[in-house]
Amino acid sequence: MKSKYLPYLLILPAIVYLLFFIGYPLVQAIILAFTHNGHLSLYNFRSALATPTFIPAFKYTLALAAVIIPTQLFLALILSLIMTRTFKGKDMVLYALIIPLTISDVAGGLIWYTLLSDAGFLNKLLINIGLISQPIHFFGYQYRNMEFLAIVLEELWRSTAIVFVIILAGMQMISKEYIEAAEVFGAGYWTRLRKIIIPMLKPSIQSALIIRTLFAMQIFGAVWMLAGRDIPVLAGEGYYQLTFIRNYGVASIYALAIAALSIVLGALYVKFLKAPYLEVSR
Amino acid sequence: MIQTLLPPFKKETGISVDFVPMSYTDISTKLAAEEKTGKVDIDLIGDLHGGMDYYASQGWLMDLNNMPKLKGRTFIPTFIKYATINGKLVYIPWMSATYVMVVNKKAFQYLPSGLTEEDVIKGTSKWTYQALLEWAKNIYQKTGKKLLGFPAGANGLFVRFLHGYLYPSFTGYEAKEFNSTQAVQMWDYLKQLWQYVNPASTTWDAMSDPLLTGQVWIAWDHTARIKNAIETKPNDFVVVPVPRGPKGRGFIVVLAGLAIPKGAPNPQAAWKLIDYLTKPSTQVEVLKNVGFFPTVEEATNAIPNGPLKILAEGVKAQESTSDALIVMIPNLGKNSGAFKNIYKEAFREIVLQGKNPQTVLNKLAPQLAKLFKEAGIPEV
Repeated sequence: MKSKYLPYLLILPAIVYLLFFIGYPLVQAIILAFTHNGHLSLYNFRSALATPTFIPAFKYTLALAAVIIPTQLFLALILSLIMTRTFKGKDMVLYALIIPLTISDVAGGLIWYTLLSDAGFLNKLLINIGLISQPIHFFGYQYRNMEFLAIVLEELWRSTAIVFVIILAGMQMISKEYIEAAEVFGAGYWTRLRKIIIPMLKPSIQSALIIRTLFAMQIFGAVWMLAGRDIPVLAGEGYYQLTFIRNYGVASIYALAIAALSIVLGALYVKFLKAPYLEVSR
Repeated sequence: MIQTLLPPFKKETGISVDFVPMSYTDISTKLAAEEKTGKVDIDLIGDLHGGMDYYASQGWLMDLNNMPKLKGRTFIPTFIKYATINGKLVYIPWMSATYVMVVNKKAFQYLPSGLTEEDVIKGTSKWTYQALLEWAKNIYQKTGKKLLGFPAGANGLFVRFLHGYLYPSFTGYEAKEFNSTQAVQMWDYLKQLWQYVNPASTTWDAMSDPLLTGQVWIAWDHTARIKNAIETKPNDFVVVPVPRGPKGRGFIVVLAGLAIPKGAPNPQAAWKLIDYLTKPSTQVEVLKNVGFFPTVEEATNAIPNGPLKILAEGVKAQESTSDALIVMIPNLGKNSGAFKNIYKEAFREIVLQGKNPQTVLNKLAPQLAKLFKEAGIPEV
């Protein structure tokens, strides 16, 4: 009798936590989004679509993710391959790589803004060593592509570490026997990488991609600091609607759009990145 | 601030004060209920002009003309004019804030012909928006840099420049002539001006840093947001009145006042507190600590030499210009965010995206009118 209910009891705190902190706000957001003056209505939905920044915000959020995430995955793979070798000072390098992970997106944005602005470190350095005579402009509506670049740089610097940590952990789990066996059969480095390491990393890649994509859909702090609303993103516009215009209904639509995008992309990853462990596939 | 202000008052008069911070809606509801039942328990209200205007329209405020004279101070006449509604003095001007221009002294080397340093500092009739354009253009042509800047970032206050400075200067009103011919001329002007504005303006929330790092030489912002630049390098900058347009020198004054509700239990004690809070020495303390400016002339003169004096003199010069066209931020309650958004949207579409001003303004005008209608106040 006791053992029958024990598992449920054990997960009860987690369930209560999720219901209270995720479930309840989610339901509230849906109510806010799809009611108007106390009636069920699509008014907020139509108003949100009619805001001139909705479509651009949607596009920019996806575009940023499309540039940032693959680059991060690529960088994380290279870094992990380097870090699985032994070399002097490896621990120091590992710490240095992970430090940005502890920095918030807003702080990261501020750091990169001061670095890249007209009067910033980078421009001063380049002017002083004589490479350029006029500062490179990164900020302002008319330099939106450069602002986009600044956001990409900041995000690569700050949040590649999370992908790297997951991939590195996955790589260290791969049994040396496979690699040694491949070597015996004469597989070169690239063959080993393509045929053994990357396939066996699939579960880690999947986790890393899902986590990064969820965060990427919520991208906000760094964009707000580096480009303000020059580059609208869904979370930023939701925040603007909520705190500046105080339109809770439209803000909820923005929030739900982020949720919907996350669910759809998450489901796509699960479907297309099926990751059978070599050990269990029959 | 309240903690440092109130104890000396209690020591002086023996009156103890309970300070209750309340939101505009809360105080409005509370007053409505209390005035209706006749059981008032608030002695003194401190609020912005917009709030006071509403309370007075409901007949909730005492006429302070009948109170004893407050000695040793001269209130700035414009403020008294605002505080007098239908012949009744409904509040005593308490403190004010505004937005001004800051000029790096280096910029004076590039003044366009016909404009002198004195014109700018005193705010003469030659200090016009056209002159500002010529000046910024001249700086750009001589230095290759766009050294005029605005806080047009996501958290910046540039929207106040649009509705409270440019609009009244060009059309005479903040919202009433939103899509008029003069408004179109104003937007055409801003488009021209923007060619010489530092493009990074759209990412700036406050002008202090761009001024200090030399990214701009001429800037417009709220006094509190440029204070740091002047305190850090008081010898580099001057604070000057804003330019004027065809309809006058439009600028916003944020004015806070002190009022006594009708039927207040202790009006005499409240009057003593008003007396204390508007004394020049108290007003200078408030300026030092929270950056709100005095409403009495003696206080401005009592500010010790230094950065604050530079700021206060600029503010005083702006308020004393003969063509001053003072506007207040309309009190639109929950619609105030939507109000600002309309001007931001107009700016983005017309100036940044280059759309036709008339088309954009005609599209937005009905939305603006609706906000005033919902708030139940006439367009200003």
